Amino acid sequence: MFASSWLILLFPLLGFIGLSWYGNCIPKKLVGLVGCGTVGASFFMTLVTLSNLLLLPPEERLGQVQTLYQWVSAGSFKLDLAILVDPLSVFMFLIVTGVGFVIHVYSVGYMHDDPEYSRFFAYLNLFIFSMLVLVAAADFFFLIVGWALVGLASYLLIGFWREKPSAVLAARKAFVMNVIGDVGMVIAAFVIFESFGTLSFVDVFTAAPGMFRPNDDTVLLITLLLLVGAFAKSAQLPLHTWLPDAMEGPTPVSALIHAATMVTAGVYLIARCHVLYELAPYTMYFIAGVGIITAIFAGSMAMVQYDIKRVIAYSTMSQLGYMFLAVGLGVYSLGMFHLMTHAFFKALLFLAAGSVIHSLNGEQDIRKMGGLQKVMPVTHMTFLVGALALAGFPLTSGYFSKEAIILSSYHAEMGNIVFWAIAVLAAGMTAFYIFRVYFYTFVGGLRSPGAHPHESPLIMVVPLAVLAGLALLGGLLGPWVDSFLSPVFGRVVEHHHDNLLETIALAAGIGGIATAGLLYMVSKDRMSLIKEAMAPLYDLLSHKYYVDEIYDFLIVKPTKAIGVFMEQKAEREGLDFTVDQIGLQVKEVSRAISLWQSGKVRTYALNMVAGMVTILLFVVFM
Amino acid sequence: MGEQFVLLISASIFCVGTAGFIIRKNPLIMFMSVELMLNSVNFLLVTYSSFLNSLDGQIFALMIMTVAAAEVVVGLAIILTIFRTRHDMDVDHIDVLKG
Repeated sequence: MFASSWLILLFPLLGFIGLSWYGNCIPKKLVGLVGCGTVGASFFMTLVTLSNLLLLPPEERLGQVQTLYQWVSAGSFKLDLAILVDPLSVFMFLIVTGVGFVIHVYSVGYMHDDPEYSRFFAYLNLFIFSMLVLVAAADFFFLIVGWALVGLASYLLIGFWREKPSAVLAARKAFVMNVIGDVGMVIAAFVIFESFGTLSFVDVFTAAPGMFRPNDDTVLLITLLLLVGAFAKSAQLPLHTWLPDAMEGPTPVSALIHAATMVTAGVYLIARCHVLYELAPYTMYFIAGVGIITAIFAGSMAMVQYDIKRVIAYSTMSQLGYMFLAVGLGVYSLGMFHLMTHAFFKALLFLAAGSVIHSLNGEQDIRKMGGLQKVMPVTHMTFLVGALALAGFPLTSGYFSKEAIILSSYHAEMGNIVFWAIAVLAAGMTAFYIFRVYFYTFVGGLRSPGAHPHESPLIMVVPLAVLAGLALLGGLLGPWVDSFLSPVFGRVVEHHHDNLLETIALAAGIGGIATAGLLYMVSKDRMSLIKEAMAPLYDLLSHKYYVDEIYDFLIVKPTKAIGVFMEQKAEREGLDFTVDQIGLQVKEVSRAISLWQSGKVRTYALNMVAGMVTILLFVVFM
Repeated sequence: MGEQFVLLISASIFCVGTAGFIIRKNPLIMFMSVELMLNSVNFLLVTYSSFLNSLDGQIFALMIMTVAAAEVVVGLAIILTIFRTRHDMDVDHIDVLKG
């Protein structure tokens, strides 16, 4: 019944192969059509799969493993080329192909003038395929394959403008950080195979509760190693430094990979492995703690950035922190719900920012924008919707998901007042920084003389409108998401009602918006005074807490020093010297011996006779 | 003729051949010295064959002569070629293979 689900993965793969082979020899329009069409077809197949899944009673929707063929079989070890169709993977399919499709359409407009248009779409299709492999995997092996493939696609797309040195560096940084995570994942897979003898999700998750007591060493080790991968992919502390730099890529890439899909893979991983994580409550605390710290850490950095895309990138980190908080607290479907709403409004914010950047010919500094609400009405409205949703303004999608997480941070089993307080503070920051960008960009007068901003073409505006609709109304899907995913997580999230806490959280959000408005609209001249008053803090934030510098000092510099030592001392004066000397000495000895070969026949004959006589004498007299 | 006498003659011829090979510089003479050494051995073989009433020694001698003839052909050809290219027959000057 789910055999056709394979087509979901097949279409983007075909698109990638087709575009990378024939992309340069077919007309531009066809490239766009293939790029979008394959993802659209994939989305359609996802809808078919979803409707098939909904036909089944909820308890039968789990563990639908579709095996294409047996790939490896060695003794008891089997590796099938298989996909797992269950509510969680279909939910991720929907987000990846749905939001992915909208962003593909937007890219047709955004990348229209790029000379390497077809390469871009080939990479985008590769990314969609990789991401689908990741979420469709039915075992840890293919999960890691997908995990590494999205890392590759991300590398290729961040460094898409390869003539820009900063883009190449950013791509390299992202790749190295991601590989750190991959190593953790691979070791986790080894440990899992060692303890369970299988890598299949279904087998591992069925066996795990019977094998381990809570907080057993092995299960803690597995969950923590998987976390390394999750943190690296989702840009959580301390592996977060690549995400802001990744904004060097084209804006649709930031929207697709670094906001809506790839960076949420860590959240998906924890939700997928929730059986293991429930056996490791210590790890759960750790996840929630890192999540909430990242949320406030990234939020505070976003408040002082001037690059429009970087602000949104930090905001992505911060919102991912909320998702980690949610899954760490065990309210998985809230985490997945926030993942979905975040995909909507963050993709929207990125695309709207892209539209602004597009119309200002690549300008990303918000200090040089301003007053765009008159010239770009649609972009302005959609950005406002995205900003409101991000800030958690009542009745937008972000309100439903974020409020629920904040409330759970106090009311969930592991919740406490500290988590809640930080979550509220981070929510206030979120509202502040996104409206700071909003006021800088769209209100007031244009601060960049000579620029002629214009509204973007229809092909970019329509995706914005679609995403704005989703960002506005996506919150209504909350109860459906909860009940749809409940078979996977084995429970329905309890809904708490606490008027006091809800009001405070809401006030924090609206307070943030109001503060931004007050600072950047009403009393602009006092900005510098405030900046001076808080100079040390401001410096700390605008230098991103010096994390890059610390890494540079702790890891990069010592590594380089070791490298220089190895190259100049150990290799040149140690290894090379020894090897050279062996060669030279052998040569000298050989030269001395070779003098024996005089080339004179008579000398040889004399030597022979002498030898013969010696042997004779030896035989006769000894 | 006694055994000793034959052995003595054979050894003398062999020594003459060896000395000739070491002392002379002309490859042709050296070649002839080699033949002398070979034939001293042949002489010994034939003598003992008759002393011991066995044909083995004579068959060996015939074989050695055949091989020696073949060797001479090859050797003379080489000497001829060297002479044609170098116009110099002193073996001490032919030392291109020295180390």
